[in-house]
Amino acid sequence: MIRNFILIAVRNLKRNLVFSAINIFGLSLGLACCMLIYLYTLDEVSFDRFHKNGPQLYRISVNLSNPEGKLHQFGYTGMMPGPAFKHSIPDVESYVRYQSEYLTVRNGNELFDQEAAYADETFFQLFSFPLVSGVPEKSLSDPQSVVLSASMAKKYFGSTNAVGKTLELKLGDTFQPYQVSAVMQDAPQNSSIKPQLLLPLKFAPSQNDKHWMNFFLHTFVLLKPGADIAKVETQMNRVFMAEAAEELAANKQNSGMEEKVHYGLQAFESMHLDTVYQADNGLVDASNPMYTYILSGIALLILVVACINFVNLTLGQALKRSREIGIRKAMGSQRSQLVTQFLGEALVLCSIAFLLAVGMVITVLPYFNTLANKALSFSYLLDAKLIFGYGLLLFATALLAGFYPALVLSGFNPVQTLYGKAVLSGRSLLAKGMVVFQFTLATFLIMAVITMYSQFNYLTNYNLGYNDKGVLSVNTERMDKQKLNLFRNELLKNSAIQQVAADQGGFQFSVAHINQGSNIEYNIRYIDEQYFPLFDIPVVKGRNFSSAMTTDTSESVIVNESFVKTAGWKDPIGQEVDFFWRNKKCKVIGVIRDYHFESLTEEMKPQLFTADPEMKFSNVYLRVAPGALGSAQAHLSSVFKSFFPAQAYNPRFKDQENLQAYEAEAKWKTMISMGAVLTIIISCIGLLGLATITAQKRTKEIGIRKVLGASVSGIVSMLTSDFLRMVGLAVLIGFPLAGWAIGQWLQNYPYRIEMKWWMYGLAGLLVMMVAFFTIGWQTLQAARSNPVKSLKSE
Amino acid sequence: MIKLKNITKWVNNGNNRVFLLKDINLQFNEGEFISIMGPSGSGKSTLLNVIGMIDDADEGEYHFLDQAVHEMKEKQRALLYKQHIGFVFQAYHLIDELTVYENIETPLLYQNIKSSDRKAMVADMLDRFNIVGKKDLFPNQLSGGQQQLVGIARALIGAPTVILADEPTGNLNSKQGEEIMELFRELNEKDGVTIIQVTHSEKNAAYGNRIIHLLDGRVDHHAMEQYTKTV
Repeated sequence: MIRNFILIAVRNLKRNLVFSAINIFGLSLGLACCMLIYLYTLDEVSFDRFHKNGPQLYRISVNLSNPEGKLHQFGYTGMMPGPAFKHSIPDVESYVRYQSEYLTVRNGNELFDQEAAYADETFFQLFSFPLVSGVPEKSLSDPQSVVLSASMAKKYFGSTNAVGKTLELKLGDTFQPYQVSAVMQDAPQNSSIKPQLLLPLKFAPSQNDKHWMNFFLHTFVLLKPGADIAKVETQMNRVFMAEAAEELAANKQNSGMEEKVHYGLQAFESMHLDTVYQADNGLVDASNPMYTYILSGIALLILVVACINFVNLTLGQALKRSREIGIRKAMGSQRSQLVTQFLGEALVLCSIAFLLAVGMVITVLPYFNTLANKALSFSYLLDAKLIFGYGLLLFATALLAGFYPALVLSGFNPVQTLYGKAVLSGRSLLAKGMVVFQFTLATFLIMAVITMYSQFNYLTNYNLGYNDKGVLSVNTERMDKQKLNLFRNELLKNSAIQQVAADQGGFQFSVAHINQGSNIEYNIRYIDEQYFPLFDIPVVKGRNFSSAMTTDTSESVIVNESFVKTAGWKDPIGQEVDFFWRNKKCKVIGVIRDYHFESLTEEMKPQLFTADPEMKFSNVYLRVAPGALGSAQAHLSSVFKSFFPAQAYNPRFKDQENLQAYEAEAKWKTMISMGAVLTIIISCIGLLGLATITAQKRTKEIGIRKVLGASVSGIVSMLTSDFLRMVGLAVLIGFPLAGWAIGQWLQNYPYRIEMKWWMYGLAGLLVMMVAFFTIGWQTLQAARSNPVKSLKSE
Repeated sequence: MIKLKNITKWVNNGNNRVFLLKDINLQFNEGEFISIMGPSGSGKSTLLNVIGMIDDADEGEYHFLDQAVHEMKEKQRALLYKQHIGFVFQAYHLIDELTVYENIETPLLYQNIKSSDRKAMVADMLDRFNIVGKKDLFPNQLSGGQQQLVGIARALIGAPTVILADEPTGNLNSKQGEEIMELFRELNEKDGVTIIQVTHSEKNAAYGNRIIHLLDGRVDHHAMEQYTKTV
């Protein structure tokens, strides 16, 4: 029986090659999308699950609230909690602290900016990172020892056989030799901790930091099996209140700051997808489960659209199959046997589509990986779960696509089918409904794409309030004003470099008192007087820093308009800013116009500029004369090397750096576009199939109408108007849905486009045009056919 | 063997009820060769389908081998007719996607017969009708007469007690038709298979040993008397 069914299925498939191809192609696209997203999801949930101690591992999280009730939540601590908690809480078996760091590596004559991290000796006991060579217990115990990842060992020494070799690392201002104590295997791709260079924390500069209220490193703890999390958390906070009491009291007395800290435990294995306590600050690849939801949603909908094609095309062709059904029933087949047969046929078709989809996935995986910022591959995800998931996907698809047609077909009355009477009346409403659904989704996605492109354009072409074109920046060693001036003068000797300015580099927020005691939080920047002119940032009130005014460095600050607004100052010039934490007061001498110092995904915030020499310059900006980039870079490179022989030279373009802030947007834009294109392709081939069937069914009618004098255009409009009405309805349903969802999405952006009528118009027109051209050709063929032929054959 | 009592079937056409069959009372015995005649639309095929249990009557009683078919559920009925009834159609109704061999085999699939037994039974049948050489051909590669031969082979494969034939020669030329009718006569006489055929042709009807005339869904006793007189 099974053999018989498969035979029929295969022969049917061959006979209706066009429809089979449409179905298989559509289903394989849908399946491929789902398979990709399933891989993506598997990878997301497999993150950090390879550690032997995994279930007992936790990261200490912090809720920090200041007196105004502003709550900061993050996953890092200072040096103190780890040892203190282990000492006083029996359930805390062990801990490891992990502090990320950037440093310069000298290997021969070459200099490299290198990501590195300090970690406690317990690192290799808590985490399951196997060593290629070396002893786990001793690898992080000696001063000036370093553990390399396998790829770093290859990078610096050409092989993983590097134990005992030395590498020069720059900590502070001097290079020191470090001996490789161990080489570890590269961390798996689904790991939040991906160390490249590991250094012993007990010799780190930060080791003497005894402040509880500094938060800069990760503390991971290993709890005893069966430990009560809530209880441990309570104990942690009790220990903190006791041990940090002095520090808190001192803080309060010095600054009047009364911050509240609450420690918590975050399960290590759920860290990757946590959006509150993110895996950042040296941990990598943090993600958001929302991505999984959105991608899964789109992939499933594409699959549903493809299944709808299957349902509609199978039922559209039901007349062809009806006789077979009648015969089988007359031969004694029961309905359930027929249902099995048709489901079996769907399964055969889906299996072919499935194999095709696997091929597609393998082909597009590298491209998808770049888009999704992943390194997915079957090699490490191929396990029972994946095979089971894919199998389930295959059967679910076959059921989704095959069940309804099987039910309808098997219900045919044998008498009617054997005597050629009409079947399938009243079914068309459902078919139409499904087409409307497909095109509603297509409209929705096209609207989303149009808006995303517009928003992206808007963000990337927005006037930031400063000129970031033609600006090169370069990281230098920390230097004072004097050295900056020497560097600047040397650079300006080449006319390709027009202006040179500097700031302290990095990105810091700070807090001060204004208006006798109230707090203000702002972005702080240490700059020289060339900074505003170089970036074309206008000073709207007061004046810029000036080297002629000696008091500027010690007593003056400049703020932006948002600062003035937040402070509520009518007359900002001469207002006092009290840096209470270092007992220093400054006066505002100028106000600059707001400019977007962060990406446009952030609101404008208060900003404060100082020329206080206690800070050091380490980031230099150059304005390059138009068309003189090559000579400017050459000059910069040679001057840089003579000034900073121990610093890696990595020049960057400010405008490109700014664009990188929208990488996420760019990727999402591409992914949603692909989803939209796939949806519309699958919907259209389905529509093409339906149009073909309709034209076939109405051959006789078309013949009669032509004999009676109907024109080709009349017949085309008769045949297409039905379809276009459905698509039109879909567009009308899609508009409000898309409008609503896109409105929600745009709310995430403080700087955003307005939804314009032309976006609706364009989306609607696009969908209608694509639909029209899809069915137009088929319809024209039918309308042009010679009526003599079609009528004679009847 | 077959008892029809007040069998009535109708369709509703707007507010009008159109009777396809009206108060049919008939009795067929085992081993009979019955011909059902009547003009187009007189209800011949409908009656045949009701007898063949692929269609329901709206009223009346139907006993097949002393079992009350009109009281049965679909499953029981399928079980009954799978065993006892074979169909032969005017348009042959072979499955286009299956070969001659596979077409003949199809009813056996629904009777849960073992694969090896099926092979033997189909081989016998191919032998009997002299179509062994054609077993791997598809229906569209055969002439009409050959297709009908396959149709009959398929009807006989389950060793039915009754064969229902709906104008079995309607699509055939006279020579082919005659061969098919001879085959039916042989089946009836030698194998004792009960045959009920619907036909338009007086000549074919004469192969039967009893003729039922239908007119507008009723048994036309007048025509039957006339016919008997002329014979």
